[in-house]
Amino acid sequence: MTRTHCPYCSLQCGMTLETPHRGALEVAPWPEFPVNRGALCRKGWTATGLRGSRERLTTPLVRDRATGELRAVDWDEALDLVAGRLVALRRDHGPDSVAVFGGGGLTNEKAYALGKFARAVLGTSQVDYNGRWCMSSAASASHRAFGIDRGLPFPLADVEDTEVLVLVGSNLAETMPPAARHLDRLRERGGRVVVIDPRRTPTADRADVVVQPLPGTDLAVALGLLHLLAAAGAVDEHYVATRTTGFEDVRRSLAAWWPERVERVSGVSAGELRDLAGLLAGAERVMVLTARGAEQHSSGTDTVSAWINLTLALGMCGKSGAGYGCLTGQGNGQGGREHGQKADQLPGYRLIDDPVARDHVARVWGVEAGSLPGRGRSAYELLDALGTREGPRALLVHGSNIVVSAPNAGHVAERLAALDLLVVADLVMSETAAVADVVLPVTQWAEETGTMTNLEGRVILRERAVVPPPGVRTDLEVLAGLAERLGRPGTIGTDPEAVFAELGRASAGGSADYAGIDYHRIRDEYGVFWPCPSADHPGTPRLFADRFPTPDGRARCVVVEHHGPAEVVSDDYPLHLTTGRVLAQYQSGAQTRRVRDLPDSGPFVELHPQLADRIGARDGEPVVVVTRRGELEAPASVVDTIRPDTVFVPFHWVGANRLTNDALDPTSRMPEFKACAARISTARDRVATPGTRLVGAAR
Amino acid sequence: MSTPRRVVVVGAGMAAVRLADGLAGRAQVTLLGEEPHPPYNRILLSAVLEGTHAVDDISLRVPDHVDVRLGARAAQIHRAEREVELVDGRRVPYDTLVLATGSIPTLPPIRGLVRVDGRLDERVHAFRSLDDCLRLDAAVPGARAAVVVGGGLLGLQVARALSVRGLDTEVVEGGEHLLRSQVDGKAGRILARDLRRLGTTVYTGARAVRLTDEGLVLDNGFTLDTDLVVLTSGGRPSTALARRAGLTVRRGVVVDDGLASVDDPVVHAIGDCAEHGGRTTGFVPPAWEQAGILADRLAGSRATYAGSRTVARLRASGLDVAVLGDPEHIGGDVVEVTNPVLGSHRKLVVRDGVIVGATLVGDLSQIGLITQYYDRGTVLAQTEPGALLMAERPSRPSTLPDDAEVCACAGVTAGRVRACTSLEDVRASTHATTGCGGCADSVRSLLASRTLEGITP
Repeated sequence: MTRTHCPYCSLQCGMTLETPHRGALEVAPWPEFPVNRGALCRKGWTATGLRGSRERLTTPLVRDRATGELRAVDWDEALDLVAGRLVALRRDHGPDSVAVFGGGGLTNEKAYALGKFARAVLGTSQVDYNGRWCMSSAASASHRAFGIDRGLPFPLADVEDTEVLVLVGSNLAETMPPAARHLDRLRERGGRVVVIDPRRTPTADRADVVVQPLPGTDLAVALGLLHLLAAAGAVDEHYVATRTTGFEDVRRSLAAWWPERVERVSGVSAGELRDLAGLLAGAERVMVLTARGAEQHSSGTDTVSAWINLTLALGMCGKSGAGYGCLTGQGNGQGGREHGQKADQLPGYRLIDDPVARDHVARVWGVEAGSLPGRGRSAYELLDALGTREGPRALLVHGSNIVVSAPNAGHVAERLAALDLLVVADLVMSETAAVADVVLPVTQWAEETGTMTNLEGRVILRERAVVPPPGVRTDLEVLAGLAERLGRPGTIGTDPEAVFAELGRASAGGSADYAGIDYHRIRDEYGVFWPCPSADHPGTPRLFADRFPTPDGRARCVVVEHHGPAEVVSDDYPLHLTTGRVLAQYQSGAQTRRVRDLPDSGPFVELHPQLADRIGARDGEPVVVVTRRGELEAPASVVDTIRPDTVFVPFHWVGANRLTNDALDPTSRMPEFKACAARISTARDRVATPGTRLVGAAR
Repeated sequence: MSTPRRVVVVGAGMAAVRLADGLAGRAQVTLLGEEPHPPYNRILLSAVLEGTHAVDDISLRVPDHVDVRLGARAAQIHRAEREVELVDGRRVPYDTLVLATGSIPTLPPIRGLVRVDGRLDERVHAFRSLDDCLRLDAAVPGARAAVVVGGGLLGLQVARALSVRGLDTEVVEGGEHLLRSQVDGKAGRILARDLRRLGTTVYTGARAVRLTDEGLVLDNGFTLDTDLVVLTSGGRPSTALARRAGLTVRRGVVVDDGLASVDDPVVHAIGDCAEHGGRTTGFVPPAWEQAGILADRLAGSRATYAGSRTVARLRASGLDVAVLGDPEHIGGDVVEVTNPVLGSHRKLVVRDGVIVGATLVGDLSQIGLITQYYDRGTVLAQTEPGALLMAERPSRPSTLPDDAEVCACAGVTAGRVRACTSLEDVRASTHATTGCGGCADSVRSLLASRTLEGITP
């Protein structure tokens, strides 16, 4: 029996893997693990479904120049080929001609090794990862306010101790179902749950108050609530005066956001805002948690800042059972952003342009600080530059299915096609692997050991339970093999525990300090919360009780303005489009769509009966959603739980992200996945020419 | 086009501050404010009077580096020299001048408002500026009764505020019903009834004609004994300065689609004082829209102003009113639902599938959506306007069919649960209830009904 964690979302539910007989691998509960106490959703229960699947890649593949088909080769041939091409590109075009793209599902060890590989082996500044598309807006805003970015500054179970829990753009009952148990227990204790989402989701079904704003207006809602709270005298003046800076400026910015104005902007009535403000004003403990619905906008950072301002104004951050947190999405969305696969960061959440940070990390790596490259392009900007004159000519992808998950995905697919060399390490033939020049088969969860950092900042251990299929290597082995061929043998370790120890040294003194964490402690303590600077440090389950890790110890309130989505609805595109997940699938679906026991319904278009009537659509029949970037045909799902002026498409399948907007947040570089302008028709009424007047079009 | 160096704004109200916001970092901006107070949100004055907001809460944030001059009253514009002359004789040079002078209240023809010495009777209050509001606020504690003259939006807000403050409040409206310039008689009558229910007497079709020591005398013979008379019955664009400068003024300062005076391309007017397309507005959103467009234009854009859609919202405790556009005059098919029992009246004016005007009184449950449709000009299906005014009726089948999904986390149908013998059996064989826990009650009741079915012949 092996104790491990689910391969999917950031909840990282504890589970055990059992081998009742040779070759079998079964999931069983791990009731003691505190985050989920034995609960799992169907993704977790079926997590072993890819094992032994014919879909697993078990040999390296190289695209044959003559036929254009992928053909099987051995590892030496594949790695020699990749290394040879990388050396040539670097010689002819400089180190930044090679780029690396990581993922928020990679273990800490892999994320660390990938960043080190990019900086210390390839010498490229061009490294980033799909976590930019996850919680980067919350990360930027948290840094701005608190001087640190740990998704939740408290254990998730603290949710049960609050009085009013506000979920902004989170559908956790579907995206991380076991977390919803905390909502029920909170309500059993008399607490209230508020859900803010354009859709009345299964999470909203468990809430006391549901508010359905237009996509992209959560910022205005926060400003309107804070306006009412300030007027009602609910601001904790002592807290604001002693623990924050900048609040007076924020206070003066609120007079412009009276409730009736917010109503017109957000579609949330002034009455609902007043009721909600009243609920918040009367509570001793308020907790606000944001997720992708609030964050995946070109104003995502400011939106999170507005909600942080609200929690700071109420004096909640650092109080027990209260405060602000972000519900990270990807399995290692937290750890993945801390150890150097982000274009502007080095391990330990250090900034790459900080000379002290560079010196420290260079010492651990045994290289000259001057040899480390500087800041590179952010994820979408990196992809957008591929194959251009100034941009990278080769891309190495680990743990990401860009073709499905990038915004404006049609354009991104064109950029990938313009590369000289695309190398994809994956366990199945994902849509991105399918267009690669070289595909490297890697181990999956349960076949390898490594740590993850869950949404609470708790570092946990996934232990190897089974032997990987023959022909498959770990990502660490792949990177080590390439490093060796690139003249840097020994730079990348292949033993996860040793890599973790090195990561700990590299992170020492940084804000995400792992120096005191080791595998034994993780096993013994149900995980360890960072920062944990030394072996005798207990770890830090709760942050901010006495001070914030800013230079003056105070949290910073920042004035933010609502500007709305980059793309506004128009005559041709009169509807709002938003995207999200369904319970049975995870991210780009590369894994979950291949698990036989999970229903793969394919994409669908959710719309309100009023809108369905308007365009003559019937439930289950095909409709076409068109945006300025692409179109998607999928069956209509007619539900009265969505705003009638908004349509929703799940993003686990090819297509949804051909529709989404690549406008970026100026601070976090987060694309605007969650709001753009669209039009819809039934497939039989499909109108290809923009400008044609449709029913449902605006004047 | 080069960025203007010095933008001087006459006025420091809502439109002026919005313009300054839009020009932040793009021009050197000076606001000339006549009032002694820093810029504030005028539409929240009734909230200050009611006591829901403190004066500080309505203070508007002015961007850094904007030169706000308070108590600076403009006397003349010297267009040839491009200077504004203040009453104290100082001159302020401009490259671009923006008039954002707002509107001024008009005094209704009531004898006795003005005393022989030329000052207002001390019982009489206007309600336009913060000073007006503070003066009235100071008078409230010593007063027992108040009469609000004017049954428009402002009048109703002030009446409710005074009533909430504990005064016996009466409203006098010369027209046949309340809000006569915005809504129809049905809506007006519902409002009057609401107000009476809240303790405020309403006199419609009655004019105040004289203020005497006994009180306010109406033309219907009533005399209302009162300590305070608040005049809310009208305002007009403040245009004297523009007129003296020789600019074309009709009701307001006449501007083109670029919000420039038709006589002088470097002089602009925005907000209540401006007349565009033959119209003046008295609302903040159009003023802000104009300010945003003008800021962009002054920074080089070619954006033009094509008029605004207005949404008038009454901000008064206990009264729910929204008026979208001009529903009584725009013309179109009217879809309406009136429920005098509940005190609601809702009316949508629809033309070619588009909501072009609306009145919502007493029930704002769909306002968020209706406003969006109105603002965007969304073309609706024929069934939709009616559906928008109907109550939502969520329906759920009482017994779950076997193929209905009970547990989303594990993907378990009612039929599979019914096939189990116990909760333990359900957990072990289906994994239902082992995820988010949300189906626990349904599973229990399915198991219980199964037991019942088992015993019942």
